[in-house]
Amino acid sequence: MSDRPSHRRTRRPAARVIRRAIQALALAGFVVLLFYVVFPYTARPARVWAGWTPEAVDAQTGRVEAVGQTATSDFAPGQVLYAQDTSGTSAEPLGAFRVLEAGPGRLRIEAIGDLSSDRLDKLAGSFGPWTLYEQDPAAGPSHYARDLAAKEVVPAELYLWLDPLAAVSAALAGRVWIWPLAAAGAVLLLCLLVPRGFCTYLCPLGTIIDLFDATIGRLVRRLRPAKAPGYLPATAATPWRWVKYGLLAAVLGAAAAGAMLGGWVSAIPVVTRAMVFLLAPLQTAAVRGWHQVPPWNAGHGISVALFGLVLALGLLRPRFWCRYLCPTGAVFSLGSALRLVERRVDQRCTECGRCQAQCPFDAIRDDYSTRPLDCALCRTCQSVCPAGAIQYTWRLASTSQAVSAAADRPVDRRRFLAATGSLAATAAGGAVFGWALRVSNAANPTGPSSPLRPPGSLPEPQFLALCVRCGECFRACPNDALQPAGFEHGLAALWTPQLVPDWSGCEPSCANCGQVCPTGAIRPLKIDQKRTVCVGLAVVDTATCLPHARQEECRLCFEECSAAGYHAIEFLRVGTEVDDRGMPIEDSGFLAPVVLAERCTGCGLCQTRCRAINVAQRGLLAQSAIRVEPR
Amino acid sequence: MPMSRFVLLVAAVLAGLAGTAPVRGDTVQLVNGTKIQGTVVARDSESITLQVTVGGRKFLRKYPLSRVRAVVVEGEPTQPAEPGTEAGRPASRSAGGASPKGGPQPVRRTRAEVEALIERQGRTLPDWWDSVPLEYPPTLDLEWPEPAPGPWNPQRNIGQYLWDVIHPNPGRWRQGIRFLHFLLEYHKKNPEKQRQIMNALGQKYFMLLQDYARAAYWFRKAGVERDDRFWSGVQLAECYWRLGNKAMALDLLDRIEPQFSMIKLLGDMGETDRALEFAQANTEGEGADIAYLYAGDACRVAGKNRQALQFYQKVLEVPATGRFKARIERNHRRAQANIEAIRLFDLLDLARVPDGTYRASSLGYEAPVQVEVVVKSGRIESVRVTEHREKQFYSSLTDTPRKIIEKQSVVGIDATSGATITSEAIINATAKALAGAMQ
Repeated sequence: MSDRPSHRRTRRPAARVIRRAIQALALAGFVVLLFYVVFPYTARPARVWAGWTPEAVDAQTGRVEAVGQTATSDFAPGQVLYAQDTSGTSAEPLGAFRVLEAGPGRLRIEAIGDLSSDRLDKLAGSFGPWTLYEQDPAAGPSHYARDLAAKEVVPAELYLWLDPLAAVSAALAGRVWIWPLAAAGAVLLLCLLVPRGFCTYLCPLGTIIDLFDATIGRLVRRLRPAKAPGYLPATAATPWRWVKYGLLAAVLGAAAAGAMLGGWVSAIPVVTRAMVFLLAPLQTAAVRGWHQVPPWNAGHGISVALFGLVLALGLLRPRFWCRYLCPTGAVFSLGSALRLVERRVDQRCTECGRCQAQCPFDAIRDDYSTRPLDCALCRTCQSVCPAGAIQYTWRLASTSQAVSAAADRPVDRRRFLAATGSLAATAAGGAVFGWALRVSNAANPTGPSSPLRPPGSLPEPQFLALCVRCGECFRACPNDALQPAGFEHGLAALWTPQLVPDWSGCEPSCANCGQVCPTGAIRPLKIDQKRTVCVGLAVVDTATCLPHARQEECRLCFEECSAAGYHAIEFLRVGTEVDDRGMPIEDSGFLAPVVLAERCTGCGLCQTRCRAINVAQRGLLAQSAIRVEPR
Repeated sequence: MPMSRFVLLVAAVLAGLAGTAPVRGDTVQLVNGTKIQGTVVARDSESITLQVTVGGRKFLRKYPLSRVRAVVVEGEPTQPAEPGTEAGRPASRSAGGASPKGGPQPVRRTRAEVEALIERQGRTLPDWWDSVPLEYPPTLDLEWPEPAPGPWNPQRNIGQYLWDVIHPNPGRWRQGIRFLHFLLEYHKKNPEKQRQIMNALGQKYFMLLQDYARAAYWFRKAGVERDDRFWSGVQLAECYWRLGNKAMALDLLDRIEPQFSMIKLLGDMGETDRALEFAQANTEGEGADIAYLYAGDACRVAGKNRQALQFYQKVLEVPATGRFKARIERNHRRAQANIEAIRLFDLLDLARVPDGTYRASSLGYEAPVQVEVVVKSGRIESVRVTEHREKQFYSSLTDTPRKIIEKQSVVGIDATSGATITSEAIINATAKALAGAMQ
């Protein structure tokens, strides 16, 4: 390694550029996952082409010449289509075909799969019109699920997996092994090489804080009179360094008592939730219209305020959150005890103090040596050192020039005991708080007031333990059928997802909430499984339902349920009138909806429509006359 | 056979047909029993190709000889496996044009054929029989007294149960029919009760499944041809017509007591003049609203939209008072709905819409969807959704307007999948805008 200053000067900015580049990439990845991959509205329903006539059918080979009106560009040779004969009252499935040739208004297709005489005779015996489908219509719609699967090259919840505290607190609170633990382990291994490297290079919250500090933070500092109170001097802040360990202890204490607090304060859940609550509505409004943005509740407000606070603390010191408060950062700090690489200062140090002033992690002591647990290897100090006295070397490498290794100093026994004692007390406090949360929730486990959980959710106590309140599921949910709970189900349920059928029902072609849930609180279901899983049960209020109350005809809930393919609502004729002969008069009375409990999944589409039309639009009812209740 | 040869064959045959295709009537019977009527246009050592006419449209169907049981060319049985037989055919009889799955053109059958079909179908159970379990509420009174005693109770009285629970739910129709078959067995020692049940079976097969052969079978077993005490004669007549013999239907209509539903059937059968004559003769009594309504329907079926509008207008002029107030009000609503549909869709003539920009709205998923239609020189220039609060709209906001402009019509536009409600609202709003502007 050369000692020539010019050499060092060219190398030092490079380290910073690399760090900024990695930060930008990591943030971009986070944004792409949240605002493109998990954004549901790129999905399009499978296409359908009606009105095709099978002019010629070869009942030997299963080849068909069909004519229709669709433009050629819709079909490509090799494409698979599904056909149905739609001449009768009910569509008759004819199976799958492969496109051989597509011309203007003409199509040559060949039956694939089952080529039995029965099917071939059925093809020849059908004279259309046929309807052609891009996807097997018998399988039901699946466009939201297919859309996410196609976009999800890396797991949508990747960043949440990388937050070790979210994983550890969920696993501990739920008393289960979850795979994100493995991802957290991998990140901690990375810390052997780059201690707290997650914070300086990868963490999107850290990067956003950097952006805030570099723009608004700098602006505010410039506007403020010099030496004004409120800005923490470098040394005064030192005791704050212990707060993050306290938070970590409290989170782990609560988790040990079976309550999830990790999601409230862990870095990635905090930033994901803030993005979902703050920016996702703007994206939805821009792409879909403001009417699609659900109203905020207390949960939104508190989460956004928390995020605002995290940023605003940067006005006291840059990266205040990261260095003093972030419990996820505390996990990485503890991981740094096993570091392989560390910062060292050699005798060229002129004690100018620039490194200490610039260090974003308060990792430099008054004698310019390193606090190894706090050093994030960001190399900021190296780039500002005028003497080139700062090196990053293997921890075990001996260097004769070192005046100040990162060697852990002998700890003051009294301070050690005090620190350990107060951490233990915080952990115990966290445990008591967690226990109180659990008990307060267990007092009211189910019943009409318990929330409707997303399809595939674990049983309520386990769900509350594993849900990290990150907000991914809200983002993934088409039409915001899932919304965060405020305080209506207790503090324990704050920010957890609940189905809000008054706003929107659970889309039958989507199973994305389970796919993006980082901890499996919502199990990842396949689309056909999801359509059979119950969220609740729709119940008709026969006192207010328009036909039941003999007010007027209404088929809204029935239409929704049939269109969604559940067929869980049927009719009962009520108020039938009779003629002189005692015979019922055709069309007299009202067809009133009856829910078939064995078919109803509680998706809530019925409730959405009833509310939208009969409550909001026409003002006939005070609330939807069909409502989903927990089973 | 390679695809290219098949295509050539198809092309050659189509080209030939366009010119001087003789009218012939041949039948191919498949191994599975299906009979296909048409014209043999080609045959070789492996297959036989038949041209079939359904609903005025020509189709080619090629069958491998291995699946053909018999070929009848112009009434002469020929050997299906015999290659290249070209039997001499007298070009006499017109093509039957029957489709196995009931195309738009009803099949024509002789009286004997209809009778045979009714007997054959009626004596066998429907093919869905085994997949439908026997289910009914245990509270029902299986004795089925008619008229039912006491207040209306669909959980106790069978007729009321069928009316309130079975009828409104297509998923329960077969279950209801199965239940009636069970009742027939239950009352086998009571011929009077059996007549009542057989008539009910006929009605359910007719109304719910459109299984006309079985409906006719049970109506006849119930003695509807002998005396029409159940008022099912018009339905039986319709069965005859649907099964392919209009003469049998007209004959029965002549023999039974006149009733309003005849107007509708006559209209459907194309006997518009007879239907209207009958309707006009009955506009004085208590059922004027029904007579006018059915007369309107008969005209609409015959494509006489203006006349239909006049009849529907007359329905609206019948005052809704007296004993039949509720019925007359219902018929007012129906007439009104039909008038609207005719005005919006059937009578829409773009040539009579002056150039301009028109707005209208129709209820969508949760609020009105407003469209703006621009018409220029009798063409729909643009359709734009100007206001909506839809959720599941996808591409329907652009797709449906595009289809309307392409077709230059609001009739026969497919709804965009996944957004049916929005599509329909756009179509209705566009139709309203155009109809409102028509001169």
